[in-house]
Amino acid sequence: MLKAEGRMPSVEDSRRRSRAAIVFTKEFREVFRDRRTIIGVVISPLLITPLLFLILGTFIAGEAKKMEKETMSVGVVNANLAPSVMKAIGKPPSLAFERVQADRAESLIKSRKLRAALVLPTDAEKRLAAHRAVRVQVMLDAGNEKSNAAAARLRAAVTTAGAGLIQVRLKRLDLPSDFATPFDIKEAPIKTGTGRGTLIVAGMLPYLLALSCFSSGIYAANDTVAGEKERGTLETLLVSPASRREIVLGKFLAVAALCCVGSVLSVVGMSIPFFSGLKAFDWIARGGMHLTAAGIGVTLLMQIPLAVLFAGMLMIVSTFARNQKEAQTYLGPMMIAIIVPAMMSMVMGAEAPRAMAAVPVLNASLIIKQALTGSTDPAFLVLALAASVLYAGIAVAICTRLFDRENVLLRT
Amino acid sequence: MITTQDLTKTFTDRKRGAVQAVDGVSLACQASEVFGVLGPNGAGKTTLLRMLGTILQPTSGTAQVAGYDIGTQGQQVRANIGYLSGTTAPYDRLTPREMLAYFGALYGMGSALVADRTREVFDDLDMHEFADRRCERLSTGQRQRVNIARAVLHRPPLLFLDEPTAGLDVLASRTVMRFIRKCRDAGRTVVFSTHIMSEVEGICDRIAVIHRGRLAAMGSLGELRERAGGGSFEQVFLRLIGEEETG
Repeated sequence: MLKAEGRMPSVEDSRRRSRAAIVFTKEFREVFRDRRTIIGVVISPLLITPLLFLILGTFIAGEAKKMEKETMSVGVVNANLAPSVMKAIGKPPSLAFERVQADRAESLIKSRKLRAALVLPTDAEKRLAAHRAVRVQVMLDAGNEKSNAAAARLRAAVTTAGAGLIQVRLKRLDLPSDFATPFDIKEAPIKTGTGRGTLIVAGMLPYLLALSCFSSGIYAANDTVAGEKERGTLETLLVSPASRREIVLGKFLAVAALCCVGSVLSVVGMSIPFFSGLKAFDWIARGGMHLTAAGIGVTLLMQIPLAVLFAGMLMIVSTFARNQKEAQTYLGPMMIAIIVPAMMSMVMGAEAPRAMAAVPVLNASLIIKQALTGSTDPAFLVLALAASVLYAGIAVAICTRLFDRENVLLRT
Repeated sequence: MITTQDLTKTFTDRKRGAVQAVDGVSLACQASEVFGVLGPNGAGKTTLLRMLGTILQPTSGTAQVAGYDIGTQGQQVRANIGYLSGTTAPYDRLTPREMLAYFGALYGMGSALVADRTREVFDDLDMHEFADRRCERLSTGQRQRVNIARAVLHRPPLLFLDEPTAGLDVLASRTVMRFIRKCRDAGRTVVFSTHIMSEVEGICDRIAVIHRGRLAAMGSLGELRERAGGGSFEQVFLRLIGEEETG
């Protein structure tokens, strides 16, 4: 039999443990019972970067090997008029010369029957005999990787031939072999981790991290408000002693925590290729890429305000939407709003103007890029952190206001 | 237990403009009575109960619930009521035991007290068999028992039941009606809204008839019947709202 009313828990009793914390704990625990959360927040961020690196590495190495082995057909215009030049060039490995007419060279390169062409001038023999420079032209399709590679091989072959001719001339004149080389220049790159590969990865990773952080919170945010409206559980919660602010704070913290978990796991995933020592990731170290503890620290630090901002944005959408389907519809344009600034960091240099620290998402991406390329600007970092915290605060404030509006909260 | 004075709620609808869902309702509900709120669909019953449960803020007017003002003491009001509607659902990914632990914590109950009350409620509603099964795997009737358990866990002196049988099959509806009878026997105050005459007839001590947001009549079943000139309760209801069939 039901008991008559007993000791009523007082409002003061409830303060023993913050209701926002109670809501947070329940939301965080409950959302992890859904397979979609496990896949979206744990598995995907952990695996996406290592997989991407693995695929990239395998692909790049495969392509490079293939190109290295490939003998490329290269046209030579006016070869019959310059036998001495052809003799000096000889038969370089991995290049197959074909004599072509000047008017056909271009169309043969376009149709990829030839990868590039060496255009010799008609007076090549005369100039060579007179010890004058022979102006050769390397014709290529600049938009084609293989054409570029063939042109590079041609340049190398002609340069080697030129160096050989100089040595012959110097010997004839009884001059030392370095007579025509007043400066012997050698590059000595310092270890900053800013190799070409690093730049590519540093451009790509902030974008991936931002996306991962955002997508980690999508399911939880949709489920926690729009989903509750749809299932009829929100009303139950609204009639509990928890205030709207406590409810929204608890739910918001749960979504922000999920975004953070997704971010942290993305950073862990990002670190795997650098620290695992697996052979499959050797190409990263060979490419001069390094990930330092400080780099990881700054990346993680920047992910927190980003997670809070994304959680706020996602909660606004979820609170405003009638149901999860409607929330998904709003998320499309929002995703673009995230992707565009995140992508901008791919093309923008790490040393961006400080005004960029005020642009949400882009600022975080640039900070991560700076961290990865070892060029962190402390002032930019502070500004970006302050701006991100401000935007996150605005998003949370909007979300709280929406939660107070019954025409928004209770529309189904 | 409840008094309302000129309670009014106006919604703004894009197409219809200002819609008065509840229009100046003044009523009183005594302690330990089962108080029926009867009205056709769209009469304003849910809006009225939502205002009393502090889910909605009244546009004007005031109300005292369990001794607290709904406008200024919302938290105290909510701590002293249990609320159950036909549309509320349990959390699918929680078990009934976890669901009660969650709401118990929100009501400020310590874990030992929650465990004691949970055992009692599970005994009362015969829920032990599915107490640790996720709610998504429960039948409609079992889910409604979880809702009831959640609403009474903190032993509120006042229960709001907003169309609690809506969408339920006969068996699940019987569970709800049996629960209301138990509440009445335990001396608990219940405000019970419905549009089903038979539900009101058998269980309510007093009834408020709501039509188009206004209080059309209020009294015991006998008083209402007398006022409307007798007949079946359906006829009484139609006369009270001025919609009696002609011919």
